[in-house]
Amino acid sequence: MDSYDRLKKDKTGIYCLYIVVFYLLVAVLAKIGWIATPWDKTVGKGYEPPSFISLELWLGTDIFGRSVFYKVIHGTRIAMSVGLVSALMSTPIGIVLGALAGYFGGWVDELVVWFYTTVSSIPNIILLIAITYVLGKGLTSIYFALGVTAWIGLARVIRGEFIKHKTREYVLAAESLGASHFSKIFKHILPNVFHFVIINLSIQFMSAIKAEVILSFLGLGVQGQPSWGVMIDDAKMELARGVWWQLAGASIAMFFVILALNILGDALRDSLDPKIK
Amino acid sequence: MAKNLIQKNAFFLILTLGTSLLFSGCTFKSKIEPPNTLHLFSIAKIKGLDPIYADDLYSGTEVARVYEGLLQYHYLKRPYVLIPNLSESMPEISPDGKTLTFQIKKGVLFQDNSCFKATQGKGRELKAEDFVYSFKLYADPKLTSSSWWLFDGKILGLNEWRDAAIKADTSDYSLPIEGLKALDHYTLQIKLKQRSTQFLFSLAMPNTAVVPREAAEHYGKEFINHPVGTGPFRLEEYNPSSKLIWIKNPTYRKEYYPSEGEPGDKANGLLEDAGKELPLADQIAVTIHVETQPQWLNFLAGKLDFSSIPKDNFATAITASKELNSELTQKGIKLIKSPSAEVTHETFNMADPLIGKNKLLRQALSLAHNQEKINELFYNFRSINAQGPIPPGLSGYDPLIRNPYRIYNLEKAKELLAKAGYPGGKGLPPIEYLNTADSTARQFAEFTQKSFSEIGVTLKVSTSSWPEFQGAIKNKKGQMWGFAWLADYPDAENFLQLFYSKNASPGPNDSNYSNPDFDKLYEKSLTLTDNPERTEIYKKMVKILVEDSPWIFGAHRITYTLTHPWIKNLKPNDFEHSKAKYYRVDPTLKPGNKK
Repeated sequence: MDSYDRLKKDKTGIYCLYIVVFYLLVAVLAKIGWIATPWDKTVGKGYEPPSFISLELWLGTDIFGRSVFYKVIHGTRIAMSVGLVSALMSTPIGIVLGALAGYFGGWVDELVVWFYTTVSSIPNIILLIAITYVLGKGLTSIYFALGVTAWIGLARVIRGEFIKHKTREYVLAAESLGASHFSKIFKHILPNVFHFVIINLSIQFMSAIKAEVILSFLGLGVQGQPSWGVMIDDAKMELARGVWWQLAGASIAMFFVILALNILGDALRDSLDPKIK
Repeated sequence: MAKNLIQKNAFFLILTLGTSLLFSGCTFKSKIEPPNTLHLFSIAKIKGLDPIYADDLYSGTEVARVYEGLLQYHYLKRPYVLIPNLSESMPEISPDGKTLTFQIKKGVLFQDNSCFKATQGKGRELKAEDFVYSFKLYADPKLTSSSWWLFDGKILGLNEWRDAAIKADTSDYSLPIEGLKALDHYTLQIKLKQRSTQFLFSLAMPNTAVVPREAAEHYGKEFINHPVGTGPFRLEEYNPSSKLIWIKNPTYRKEYYPSEGEPGDKANGLLEDAGKELPLADQIAVTIHVETQPQWLNFLAGKLDFSSIPKDNFATAITASKELNSELTQKGIKLIKSPSAEVTHETFNMADPLIGKNKLLRQALSLAHNQEKINELFYNFRSINAQGPIPPGLSGYDPLIRNPYRIYNLEKAKELLAKAGYPGGKGLPPIEYLNTADSTARQFAEFTQKSFSEIGVTLKVSTSSWPEFQGAIKNKKGQMWGFAWLADYPDAENFLQLFYSKNASPGPNDSNYSNPDFDKLYEKSLTLTDNPERTEIYKKMVKILVEDSPWIFGAHRITYTLTHPWIKNLKPNDFEHSKAKYYRVDPTLKPGNKK
């Protein structure tokens, strides 16, 4: 409760939380089909400029006369799902590997450190491209590619914290009471370092959204669905004919969610880290 | 001794350079550009000026200014006609079509160059032996010419000569070749392994041009930068990545501007220079513009004589009625539209058990594909709807033919789809559509996806890189994909061979189309020369293809060229590379030169 009070005092942090929740809500509603459906309906001529005649034409139309505003909303759905799924996939990997390495040390530690050093030495985008080539294109492989590459930062932090915590009195006390390794790792140490996981989650979320946009821009991302990256890729060619609304729509939508997640990550650290008071 | 001399010379050079720099301020330009100078551009860097490596359009165009081959295309006549270039007349062809005898023009001189030591730098006369030597260069395994495919398996004994050279690890140019002989200084005899109408076309390409042995041996590896040919221009200044200056070759043979063309050429002023000696221009300045915007701006500033329209500037340059906007018209700029010898298409994989066996399904999909919309969205209306595979300008193209399955008609499409066994698309699994990963290709696939969804057919797009994409097609994978075929030579055969069953993947027939009736007609057409009988057969073949619909025929795209008023005799020509010898500049029409 202490941490939540501290977070509440951080006005910017709270607004950012609202923004993220709003995006999630939009994504869920779009997924259920309550808003902006169907996104691929032709609502006007190709490249109609933005107008306030109707909600559909708010951000104009794309090359095939589809509503850019609807595409932005469904792009939110894709971005949020990629952020969520990949963060949920990478976090357990990061926690387990970091905890094992930090707690046991020795050859386990060496093995895990060697593993994540090797993975992180490959440039991230190249690794993602390689994985999408192996798995084929599409949303599932993006989830997977981001999930299996984004755990390194978290594993490092958790490992460091475990090294620090494993010799603390409460852990030694638990040990003298006969606690098993499993119980020491997950019941005793992990709850004490869990705030790092929460902070990491928001950062992970953000970088996953960015990566999805980049992959889709490169033509390796989602197929046949309105991703922000695909919209920006379209805009690359359309700008010369003065069509700026796809770029504007996708960029602004992406800008706010990424900014909000970044600030929220900072605010969370400030409120959760017991050292900063 | 020698060392000193060089140093002295170097010093002298520095001195003169210094003085010329000193005086350059007041002497303006040391070389004044003649008023009749062409200002052309190339959109790619020049690979080199050795014909055996000139396999791309840009190098080929530059090579064709200085080197010539046996044949060339008539500049004005359409359909395209081969006419003699360095040969005196068209070759004498034996009744079996296998022996070609060329009479070489007398008195043709190579350009003056220091490599001709026996004549103190004066260019010597071209002889039939030069062709024998040059064709061996293309075959020389050590030189790895990129144009070997044009000769591979064609000339009797040339492959054996090449194999022997590979074995011996050295090429013996003195060894005779059965199918390649100079009967005397002016008679060249080529014996082919089998009759081939296409071989003659390859002799008009810049990458079968003739080079003098003296120059190739004198310059060795540097020959690529020191062109010595028989052509209308000689190289003056060469920077492969920025600029080339060509000047009129003073020892060029007597060649004249054609005095007949196709109807309409006279009205367009293309026959005003009829009978005049070529080349008409005194100099050519070629600038390399890899980026489209500098090219466009230089054209608008009058520093280039003509230009294409970059896609991004199309909307500002061309009005809705496909004409030039008034700002450009006021400058006297003209627009030339010319169809390219190509056809775009969506290919059905006929080897696929589902799509290849169901003609009605293919016809239904063809009817649901809105070509008008594609022309609008992707080609700025710069295209003609294709009714069959043969583009305009080639014999066999019939402007009157209407493909009944290339009309946008959703009702009929739904009807045929139901007849095909899939009413409303029910029961039809998603069609696997192969695609490349670039943006325009993605938009194209999205369009096809959207069109087919109108009749209830779903498309599953799978994208990959260009090599993967081609690999899949060569392995007969996938059910559909989009492609364009650009003609290699002006013969409809180049398009019809795409449907010959023996050319199936990994050959050029990537739709894996196979129809015995079509094959029979194709084989018959190969034995004929360009005559009405063959054209009739071509039309029959097109009819079969239209009915079977192995492709959704797309469009023949149109090239838009903008020209300034001072450049004369510009006529689009897809195959002839040496076009600049016909161009002329009227200096009185240039804004800076008005007197």
